[in-house]
Amino acid sequence: MAIFANQVNKTYQSGEVTVQALRQASLEVQDKKIITILGPSGSGKSTLLNVIGGIDRYDSGSIKVGGTVLDQLKDRELTDYRRKFVGFIFQQYNLIPTLTVEENVEVGRELSQQPLDMKDTLEKVGMWDKKDKFPSQLSGGEQQRVAIARALIKNPQILLCDEPTGALDEETGKNILKLLKFVNEQYGTTVLIITHNQGIGEMAHSVIRMKSGEIVDSFENENPVDPEKVTWS
Amino acid sequence: MILKKSVYRTLKEKKFQYAGVAVLLLLAVMLYVSLSMAITTLESRNETFSEDYKQESFHFVAGGSVTDEQLSLWEDEYNVTLEKRKYADFEVDDSTVRVFTTTESVNTPYIAEGRAPTSGQELAISKVYAEKHQYQIGDAITLDEREFEITGFVYLPDYIYMVEQMTDLLADAEKFGVAVVSSSSFSVNAQTEILGWTGNGDVPDGFREAVSEETSLLQFVNSEENPRIGFVETEIEGAKGMTTTLPLFILALSIAMVLMLMKRRMEMQRKEIGTLMALGYRKKELVRHYLGYAWVIGLVGTVGGLTAGAGLSVPLSNLYANYFNLPALSMFDWDPFVLVIGFVIPLLLLILLTTFAISRTLRTEPLTLLRPKEVSNGKKSWLEKLPLLQKGGFIRRFRLRLLVRNKARSVYIFIGVMFSTVLLLFGLITFNSMDQLVETTYKEILKYDYAVHYQSLMTEETDEEQSPFIMNELGLVDEDVKITAYGIENDNAFIQLSAQGESLQSNLSEGAIISAPLAAVLGVGEGDEIHLQNSLNSDTMHVEVAAVADLYIGNNLYLPREELNDFLGFPEEAYTGTWQKQPPENSGNVYMVEDKQKAIDNFESTTGATRASVAGMAIFAVLIGVIVLTLLTNLIVEENSPSISLFKVMGYHDKEVSKLVLSVYTPIVLIAYFVSIPLASLSLEQTMNTLVQETGFLMPTDVAWWMVVIGFIVILLTYWLSLGLSKRKLKNVSLQEALKKQQD
Repeated sequence: MAIFANQVNKTYQSGEVTVQALRQASLEVQDKKIITILGPSGSGKSTLLNVIGGIDRYDSGSIKVGGTVLDQLKDRELTDYRRKFVGFIFQQYNLIPTLTVEENVEVGRELSQQPLDMKDTLEKVGMWDKKDKFPSQLSGGEQQRVAIARALIKNPQILLCDEPTGALDEETGKNILKLLKFVNEQYGTTVLIITHNQGIGEMAHSVIRMKSGEIVDSFENENPVDPEKVTWS
Repeated sequence: MILKKSVYRTLKEKKFQYAGVAVLLLLAVMLYVSLSMAITTLESRNETFSEDYKQESFHFVAGGSVTDEQLSLWEDEYNVTLEKRKYADFEVDDSTVRVFTTTESVNTPYIAEGRAPTSGQELAISKVYAEKHQYQIGDAITLDEREFEITGFVYLPDYIYMVEQMTDLLADAEKFGVAVVSSSSFSVNAQTEILGWTGNGDVPDGFREAVSEETSLLQFVNSEENPRIGFVETEIEGAKGMTTTLPLFILALSIAMVLMLMKRRMEMQRKEIGTLMALGYRKKELVRHYLGYAWVIGLVGTVGGLTAGAGLSVPLSNLYANYFNLPALSMFDWDPFVLVIGFVIPLLLLILLTTFAISRTLRTEPLTLLRPKEVSNGKKSWLEKLPLLQKGGFIRRFRLRLLVRNKARSVYIFIGVMFSTVLLLFGLITFNSMDQLVETTYKEILKYDYAVHYQSLMTEETDEEQSPFIMNELGLVDEDVKITAYGIENDNAFIQLSAQGESLQSNLSEGAIISAPLAAVLGVGEGDEIHLQNSLNSDTMHVEVAAVADLYIGNNLYLPREELNDFLGFPEEAYTGTWQKQPPENSGNVYMVEDKQKAIDNFESTTGATRASVAGMAIFAVLIGVIVLTLLTNLIVEENSPSISLFKVMGYHDKEVSKLVLSVYTPIVLIAYFVSIPLASLSLEQTMNTLVQETGFLMPTDVAWWMVVIGFIVILLTYWLSLGLSKRKLKNVSLQEALKKQQD
C-alpha cells in the first residue's frame, strides 16, 4: 500500500513550550517496500509514524494511505482504517500480561475479516512452541516476535514499527529485522521502521532522514543488505 | 472476545479487591431482599389473618351492662357486627394469662395446632407463651386453682402484638400470654368487652356517641389506636423504610468502590488500552471488555445477595411472626417484584455508572494512553503550599503530601469510616436509650407502683397512699391526633414531671405539660398553644404548653385535675383512677390495674434481644468498615508500589515504609469518627421523630461518653485490621518493582 504525505504540519504543547513536531513534511512511499525513517530523538519521526498510523492527528497538510485520505476522518473512521490496514509494533512490545502468547495474537486476529492462520503465523515468528507462555515468561526478543505476530495476523497492508529493536541486543534485534523483511517479502506488506539506529537503513528500500520535524533527506537504496549484515549501532 | 480471558485472570489475581466489592453489593441486595420478603410475608399473613378471622374494627367497655337486645338494635342501625367477649387475668408462674371466651363473629380464634376447647376443663393457649413456659398440647395448666387441659395453640386477631396493657411498649411472652376457653367454662369474675366488626375497619359515624348515650363508656378503642392490632402495621411501615435506606447506602458505597477500582484498573492498563485502540479496537468493544469486571461483580453480588436474602427471609419471617403472634397462614410469601428490583436496579446502576466511567477514560487519544502518564506537572496545589505542609522532616512532609494528593481516596475513607461509625453508634444509642427510657420514664417521673383504673367515675375521697387522676382521650381541633389527657394533683407524689432532672411540677399552674412524643408529633414546644377537643361533645379548649417533660412514652398531656374535669364536664373532685404504691385491696369496681414493675420487667427481658441486634449491627459495621478500609489501603499499596519498592531499595524497613505510605490516613479516620458522632445522634433523632406518630414513643438519642470510647476502640481496631491485611501486600512488593517502572 502506497503512502503519500504532503506538507504535513503538527505542533503540540509540552508544558509551556509549543513544539513544532512536523514541518511541511512530505514523502512518498511505494507499495510493498521497507522504509526506514532515521533521526535523533525529537526529530519528529515518531510523530510522522503516528499520523500515518492514524493514532495522532496533524494540523495541516494531507496524508493518503492507499485509497484512504486521512485528513478529515472522524475517530470512528480512523479506527476502521487502523483496523483494516495498519499493524503496529512498539518498542516496549505492549503485550497484555494476563494473556498467553496465542491469546495475545488472537487479540489482533479478532479484528480482521481475513486473518492469517494462527499456527502458521506463530510458526513463522518462531513462537508456536511457546504459545501457552505468558509475556512475563518470555525474553524481550520473544515478546517482540509475539508483538509482530499480533500485528501480522491481521494481514495488514502497512506495518508501522516504532523502534522495534530499541530494547533489544544486536543478535535479537537482527532476528527481528529478518522477520520484518520476511513479512515484507512473504506478504507484500509495506513496512515503515523508525529508528535512531543508522545501520538499519542499510536493509531498507528507501531511507528518510528527519531533523527538527523536517524531512531533510530521502533516498532510494538500490542494494538493500540482508538484515544480518546491517551495521549495528 | 479473547479479552474476556484477561478479565477473568485479573479478577483471579486481584480476587481480594473484587471479592470485597462483590461482598458489599451482596450485603446490600441480601438486606433488601431478606427484609422485603420478610415484610411481604408478614404483611400477607397479617392481612389474611385480619380478614379471614374478622379482626375487630373497635371494641369498647361499658360502665353498665349492655343487653343483647341493645346490641341487636345497634347492629341493625349501624350495619355492624357486635359480639360480647368475657375475659379475666390469671397469675401463672410469675406471668399473666388473659383468658377469653371463644367468639364466633368477631376476633375468631385461629387454632394452629391441636383443637379448640370444647368442655369446661379445656383451654387453647398462645403458642409463643406455651413455648416460653414449656407447655405442650395435652399438658395441664392451673388457673386460679382450677386445672385446664391444653387442647391446642391459639392465635387471636386482636392480640397480634401481645401486650398486656395497651400502654406497654414491648411484648414479652415470658410475662404475658392469651388463651381461649369455651364460653361455658367462664364462671369467674370476668370483665366484659364488646367487639365490633364493620368490614372496612372504620367506626360507623355516630356509633360511639350512641353508645355513650346509653351507658357510660369506660373505654372505646378503634383498631387504628389499638397497638395490639396496629403495631404490626407500624412495624411493617417502619421496616419498609429500612428495607430501602440501609441497602441503598451500602449499594452506593459498593458502586463507588467499583468505580474506583475500575478507574484504577484503567489507569494501570492505559498502555494496553492505547495498544488495543492503535490495533483498531473500537471504543464500544473496549467498553464491553471493561464492563466484564462490572458484570462479574454485579452478577456475583446480586445473585449471591438474592439467594442469601431469600434464604435469610425465612427465619426472619418466622422471627417476625413469633414476635407478632401471627399464624403461619402462608409459609413463605414473596413478591416477584422484590426479586426484580433486587436484581435489576443494582445491576443496572452498576453497569450504567461503570459504562460512564469507562467511556470517560476512553475519550483519551490512543497516543496519550500509549505514553507514560505525567505523574506531576511540577506544580504544587494550593493545599500543598500550606505552610503546615512545608514544615517538619521528610517523613512528615511525604505523608502529608500523599494525603493531599489523593483527595478522592481520603473522601472514600472518610465516608467508609463515617458509615461504620453511624451504624455502630445507632446500635449503641438504641441499646442505651432503652435503659435511659426506663430510668427516666419509670423511675424518675412515674413514681407509683400501680395505676388503678375504675369502671366508673369516682368522687369519694382517696386514701393518703393514693393520688387520684382523671384520664381521658382527647382529640385536636383540625388534626387527626389522639391525646391521652391526665388531670393530676399538683402536689402529688406519684408523678414527678421533670426535664433534665429539674422538676416541672410547678409549671402546671401555667399551662399543660406534655410528653416528648406528643411534642414531636405536634411539633410544639414551650409557649405554643394546643387546641384540644372533647371527642364526645366537640367542646374545645386552648391550652398553652408550659413545658415538655422527659417522658418518652405516649402522647400524654398533663393538666391540673380541676381544669380537666371542668373541660370534660365532670365534678371538680372526680377521678377515673388512682396511682398508688400497693395493689388495690378491693377489686370490685376496678376495671384495670397497671403494674409498673411488669412494664419495667418487659423492657428488661427484651434487653437480650436488643443486645443481639446491637451485636449484629456492630458486626455489620465492622464488616463494612474492614472491606472498605482494606480495599482502599490495598489500592494505596498498589498505586505506590514503585515508591514502596524504591524505599525498600534505599534501605527503609517494612515498618518504616508502612508508616510512610499506609498510616497516612489515620487523621482522616479520626476526623471521620468524631464527625460521625453528632451525625449519628442527629440522624437517629430525626428517624425517631419521623416514626413517633406511629410508635407513640421516643428514644433518647444522647451519646454517652462510654459509647464514644467503645465506638472509638471498635473503629480503631477495624482500621488496624485493615492496615494489617494491607501490610502483607506491602511486604510482597518486590525490590525490582522500582526498576521495572523506571524502564516503562
